[in-house]
Parts: sequence; C-alpha cells; structure tokens
Amino acid sequence: MSKSLAWKITLILVVTGISVFFAYPLQEKISLGLDLRGGSHIVMQVETSSAIKYEMDLTQSRLGQALKDGGLSYAAVTSSQPTVLEVKGTDPARRADVRKLIDDYVGQWQVSDLGAGSFRAVMPLEIRSAIEKNAVETTLTTIRSRIDELGVREPIVQKQGTQGDRILIQLPGVEDPTRAKQVMQDPALLEWKAVTYPAGVTDFGSWRPPDSKEAVAALFGGTVPDDTELYPERVPSQDGGTFTLWWPLKKVSTIVGNDLRSARRGQQTFGEPSVDFTLTRDAGRRFEAATRENVGRKMAIVLGGVQNKQVVSAPVIRSVIRDSGVIEGGFDVQSAEDLALKLRSGAIPTDVTIIEERTVGPSLGRDSIRNGVIASLAGFLAIMGFMLVYYRFSGVNAVVALALNVVILLGAMGYFGATLTLPGIAGLILTVGMAVDSNVLIFERIREELRLGKTVRSAVDQGFSRAFLTIVDCHITTLTSAFFLFTYGTGPVRGFAVTLIIGLIASMFTAVFVSKVIFDIVLGRGRRVESLSI
Amino acid sequence: MLEILKDTKIDFMGNRRIWMGISAFLVAASLIVLPIRGINLGIEFTGGAEVQVKCADPPDLGKVRAALKSAGLSSNLVTTIGDPKENELYIRLGSEAAETKEQDLTSALTQALRAATGWTGAEGRIDLNAADAATVEQLLEGFPDITRADAQALAAAISEERRKVAVLRSLDALTGLDKMTPQVMEYLRSRAVVGPFAIRSQSYIGPTVGRELLQKAFWAVLGSLVGMLAYIGFRFHFRWGVAAVLALVHDTIVTLGFFSLFGREMSLPVVAAFLTLIGYSTNDTVVVFDRIRENLRMRGAADLSAIINLSINQTLSRTILTSGLTWLVVLALFFLAGEPLNPFSFVLVIGIVVGSYSSIYIASPILVLWQQFLDRRKGARKGSPPSPKASPEKKARKVRTA
Repeated sequence: MSKSLAWKITLILVVTGISVFFAYPLQEKISLGLDLRGGSHIVMQVETSSAIKYEMDLTQSRLGQALKDGGLSYAAVTSSQPTVLEVKGTDPARRADVRKLIDDYVGQWQVSDLGAGSFRAVMPLEIRSAIEKNAVETTLTTIRSRIDELGVREPIVQKQGTQGDRILIQLPGVEDPTRAKQVMQDPALLEWKAVTYPAGVTDFGSWRPPDSKEAVAALFGGTVPDDTELYPERVPSQDGGTFTLWWPLKKVSTIVGNDLRSARRGQQTFGEPSVDFTLTRDAGRRFEAATRENVGRKMAIVLGGVQNKQVVSAPVIRSVIRDSGVIEGGFDVQSAEDLALKLRSGAIPTDVTIIEERTVGPSLGRDSIRNGVIASLAGFLAIMGFMLVYYRFSGVNAVVALALNVVILLGAMGYFGATLTLPGIAGLILTVGMAVDSNVLIFERIREELRLGKTVRSAVDQGFSRAFLTIVDCHITTLTSAFFLFTYGTGPVRGFAVTLIIGLIASMFTAVFVSKVIFDIVLGRGRRVESLSI
Repeated sequence: MLEILKDTKIDFMGNRRIWMGISAFLVAASLIVLPIRGINLGIEFTGGAEVQVKCADPPDLGKVRAALKSAGLSSNLVTTIGDPKENELYIRLGSEAAETKEQDLTSALTQALRAATGWTGAEGRIDLNAADAATVEQLLEGFPDITRADAQALAAAISEERRKVAVLRSLDALTGLDKMTPQVMEYLRSRAVVGPFAIRSQSYIGPTVGRELLQKAFWAVLGSLVGMLAYIGFRFHFRWGVAAVLALVHDTIVTLGFFSLFGREMSLPVVAAFLTLIGYSTNDTVVVFDRIRENLRMRGAADLSAIINLSINQTLSRTILTSGLTWLVVLALFFLAGEPLNPFSFVLVIGIVVGSYSSIYIASPILVLWQQFLDRRKGARKGSPPSPKASPEKKARKVRTA
C-alpha cells in the first residue's frame, strides 16, 4: 500500500468517525421540525406604525397639558400626518415662550414657526426608526417572557423577515395554540385614567355612564370635552348577555403599563380572584398625587392596545394609594392568572397580528415520519439492489459510497444543528438518487474505456478523470438551484434545501474520492489485474 | 457485464423533427390547459385557513357546511380525505375569509366544527383530544395522591396513546395505561372528556404572506433559470446555455401542464420540487453537453449533427440508468411517503421523465438548428467551427473582459 493511499484511507476513516460522532444517537443529535414532532409555528407582524401612533398620541396630549400648565393658551394641538404635530392658535405676543416650551418638550424634533401663532413639530426619521426598532425589540422580549410563563418546552422566538418586523414563534408540542395566541397578541397596556364627570353629577362614587356614545355626549351638551375620550366597558346584563357602558375618561393617563413593578393573582374577601399589582417608585409618586385629587371619585383601569382599549373596571378611590393596588372585576382563576402574567411580562408597545400559523398534531407527525422512512428505505434498497446486480463488485463500491454519503449528511446536519423536516426526509433520499448519478457516470465511463481495450488500471484512472469535470458541472448546476431554493424557502422547505446542499457536497467526496480509493485498494496490491467486476 | 444498452446507434438528430413536434404539441397543450384548468393554489399562496381533523365518528359533511355557514365562515372546500373509514375531514377557507376576517380563523374553524358534531361543550373540563401533554400533566398533578413523576409518566403515556390512535374514542381507552389506577381514572372522568375529533393539522396564512410567497416563488424559479444560463454560458458557450434553458422552460411548462390537468394543489414543497427539477434536468443536459464538447475537441466539428448523435448514444445508458434510479426513488416517495408529500413527488415523477427526454430531444437539436442557421447566414464561411473555444463570440468576450 502506497503512503498516499494510506493517508487517503485515514482521511476517510476520520471523516466517517467525525460524522458518526455528530450523528449518533440520531434521536438526540438531529432535531425534528414541527411538521414531524408536532407543535405550533406562528409568525407575527409587528405593526410598527401603531407604535409611532401611540408615541404621537402621547406627545400630542401631554404637550397640550404642558402648554396649559405653563399658562400658555392655544386653540388646538392636531396631528394631520403620522409624524407631524401642529399647535394652533397660540398668542402671537408670547411666541418666544411658546416656541421655547415646544422646543423643550419635543427635544430633537424639528420645530418650525408657521406664523400667526401656529407651530409645526416633525418627528425626525432617526427617532421614528428608533421607536420602530424599539417596538420590535420590546415585543420580542415580552412575547418571549410570556411564552416562558406558559411553560412551553424549548420554544423558539426570533426576529424574521427582511424588514426585521416579523417575529417567528415555534412552540413544540403545543396542539391547541388558542391560549398561546391570545396571551401573545394581547398588548396588555395598562393605563389608569381619571373620569371626566358631566356637570351636575354630585354622587361621584356611584355614578355610572349611559350605554351609548350619544347618550354620554348628550350629558356634556352634545360633544365631549377636548381632553376627554370615550372608552367602552362590557358589563354582564341580568339576562345573561352583555351590554356596553361608555366611560368619559381623560385622554392623558395618570400611569401607564411600564410603571408597573409586579403583578400577581390575588384573592378577595369572598374568594373571587383579583389581580394585585405594585408600582415603581416614580409612578407611585404620580399615583399618589392623582389619587389625592380623586378621593371619592372613580378612576378607570383601561387595558388594551392602541385601538382596542377597554375599561376593565372603574373602582372608587377610597383613600390615597401610593404604590400598590388591586384590580377587581369579574375574573375567574384563569383570566386573573393570564392578566397578571401579561402585566408582569410587560406591555407589548404596539399591535401585533398573526400572519401565519401552522399547527401539526402529534399523530400526523408520527404518520409522516413512518411513511417517510418507509419510502426512503424502499428507495434506498431499490438503488442498492440495482447497483449490486448491475455492477457486481463495483456495485458494492457504489453502495459503500452511498451509505457513507448518508452518514456524512446526517453528521453535518447534527453538527450544524439543522432540523429534519418532512420535505427534508424527501431531500435525504433524493440526494441518494442524485449521488448515485456520479457513480453511474464513472462506471459507465470505465466500461467504455475497457471496451476500447485499455488495461483495467488505466480504464479506472481514465474513467475517474474524464468523468470528474462532468460531475463538477452537474453538482454546481444542482447546487445553484438548491441555493435559490434555500433563499426562497421558509421552515420545512428550507430544511429540504439544506439536506440537498449538504448531501450534494458530501456526494462529491464519496462518489469521486472514496470510490476511487476503494478501487485503488482493490487494484493496487502490486499484482497485475486482468479483469474488473463492473 | 450486465448491460441494458449495447453500442446503440440511434439517429437522434435524424428524427428530431418528429420529437420536437411532439414537444411543441405538449407545450402548446400545456399552455392551453393552464388557463382553462388553472392552477389549484393552496392557502400558502392565496391566504386563508385550513384544518384537517380526525373524527371519532363518520363526519356529516352537510352539517359541517351548515355550521361553517352559520359561523360566517365562507369555506370553499369541505371534504373527507384518504380512506373513508379513517373519518378524516379536510376544510379549507379561501382567500375571502383571510381578507375579511379579523378574528382568529383557525380557532373559529374548530369552534364551528364542535358545533357541527353536536358537542355540547366541555363545561370547564379538559378535552383530552385537544389538550397537549403539558396541560394533561397539570391536570394530573391536581390529583392529590399522585407523585409528580407518575403524573409526568402518565401524561406522556396518554400523549403516546393519542399519537397512536389519532383520536381517542372514549376515556375507557386509557384504563390499560401504566400508572393508571382506578382512583386516577375516576378523577379523570370528573375533570376531562374526549371531544368528537382531534386536530391533525391546522394552518392560517395571511393574505400578504400569500402574495409574498407567490412572488418569491416566481423570482426563485426565474433566478435559478438565469443561474443555469449563466453557468452553462460560462462553462460552455452562451448559445448552449440558451439551449439548456429552453429545455428547462419546456420541462417546467409541460410538468406544470400535467400538474394543472390533474388538479394537484400548489404548495411550498411543490415549488421546491420544481426548483429541484430545474437542477436535476440541467444535470442531464450538462452530461450530454460535456460529451459533445469532448467529441468536438477530439474529432473536429465536421458534422455537428453526427457528433451530437454519437455523444447522446455514448451517454444514453448513463442517462437511462440514473434517471431510472432517481425515478425509482421518486416513485417510492409518491406511493409510500403519504399524503403530505404526494404533490411534491408528483412533480418529480413527471418532471424527471420530461427532463431526461428534453436533454436529448430539445437541448441538443437546438444546438444543431442554431448552427445551421448561423452557417446559412454566414454563407461563404461555411463550416465555421462551433467548438466553444474557437467561436468568435467567445473570443470577443475574452477580449472584453481582459
């Protein structure tokens, strides 16, 4: 045996060893895709525009409040475009003061004086994209912590998509994603708002608003005040249905969700579940001031996203509250637990919508694995049987090369942590079907050379060297299409592309290098070889 | 030596007109079939929702349709799939549902199904045909006289049982499980029920995602065709690249025609199959082209037609062997791998045959036709060498890039 042959054999053994190391035992080393093991795959779109809107709304209302607090009169603060605020009707005589207050308030925004007491403030692009980015990041961490609290094992939560505003969530083993979807989608933005009482109300503690928007507006003489908005509360009626109360609440919230420090399910005197919460120190101070002003009056707890805000309950403030409180309001154990969970894990700062959802039950995955394995084995046995019958000894050579191909493929998948999906199983066996092409190309070439009367050794050498370039060309073309497949595909299809790409690269090694070495071993013992079983 | 073909001398180029005629007919037929029959796009491309459930009892399709209608869900397909004895139900909600509904479509679907099967509801009890292992484990841990380990083992056993039978028909099916005691069984009966069906798979695809996927599929197919053109143009000759890509377009259109004719459903894996087909079919073409180039170098370019004939004959046994072997694999997938992979395998079953055929009867004759056309145009400079190395275009390109 020549020295170089010994090296080649060592290389093959090392590659085989490494592959086996990374692939064995299969159940532990190769992870199965959700289509095989069962579970839910969800893609969410983060509506970043709603984060911008939220920020704009907040600035709009707080800027108005700041002007009022600064003793500067104005007609209106409006928002004509998504990132533009206009302050109208300020006193032209106090132009400099107004300008300074706006400048201080909006910071890096571009403020321009439109004349006649009107100002325009534009949110710059950097701030806008920072808010969007932040919205996605916060949503990501919030969803992650909510999923963790749901107790799903080995979940995946990650950003996806070219814009980076999509979130991929994989929940292995989850068969009914309804609860997970509800928990993840709920923005859980908690706000406390003071009630704007209509004139003439004296009994603040027991006042309830009417059940239509028009009736509420009528109480205020046709239109609700500028600093007030209407929020619905669903209340169970005596006949078992529900009706909606419309609360007139101050636009500017006293505290918002981020001010929460902790929340957990609690219990009332008669055992009804409630949600207990504590506030951060800073928010506690604000809350203290607000509750002092509102003792004996109602404050509403509003929960929801930018659009879907709802009043959860509107308790009467009995005494000054500093930094902890209780939310009551018709909870059962599960809903109290869920609300506490959502408040704890933080608010999702923006609306999220589910744009893709696939759930595979465990029985389907099991059937898929079984059928896929049966089909693959059948295909593999058919190829092996044919090669052995058709090429006899050389067929053994090809079968060894193909088997090694599969081992390397599995090893590489184990090493890269690639996921085996149902199309991936098809890719695996299809790779074998394509890899055998290289063997056939070489063997047919060797046969041709033998027919021309060449000696066995030179026929084998010529066969390999002549077929080599063809094989390279074939592999590159197939890899090109596999590459496009990879960039196109998501999930299962990407798994297919991955197995195809790894398998094709491995087959270059096995069909060309390993096969040649096996021939060298058989033909290279110093004796003259008269014939070749091919 | 066992050989299927020995020294064939088939005049492929001689009867190319017949075969190109047949191909032209197939392409034309496909182009007629496609707009008439259309392509059955799955919800991945149209947007929508689908659910596949296994029912304990034979489902009443009429009731299901009525329940969907009263839930305001516009279904475009309610059918049983597979063996009727398996009680497997498949429902698809079309794109209109995805466009108009803001509610959770898949949950609404299962709700409607529950209504259709006359299920009165679990009344706070857990449906073992819908609960995942974690939920069952939580439920079992609520039983006072069970250890945590036993609860876990039992929950796993229940999951395994469900995995095996797909749908539990009654709680009695669980009595034989390891770690199951009559007391636990009693507890389960008070806290759990078995619903009338189990969900095997459910999906929802939003309309924007569907449109994106359709666009991406188009670009991926186009991209890989251009990739093939570039690579073969680079390795052989631009003209050869065009010939190969025309063969690929032929393969894609004809396979698509069959796909449409048989009304199979287009899904992501099917697009993957088409891309695989493009790679595989190019493979075949490259093997033939490689041989043509080699023979051109060795024997000169006196008669391109004869050289192509020789090359195809020389590679014929390889073409038949490898295509045959890959075809065997694909057939195994088609017949044995089950419903989810069926449309995928269908494309390859048709495509591999068409692809191998086109290397011989489309790509190669185009080379001959193109050469004849060039020869005629050049007139006096008859027999200009078509070898890639000596062709004027190739030289010109080299100069440009130099």
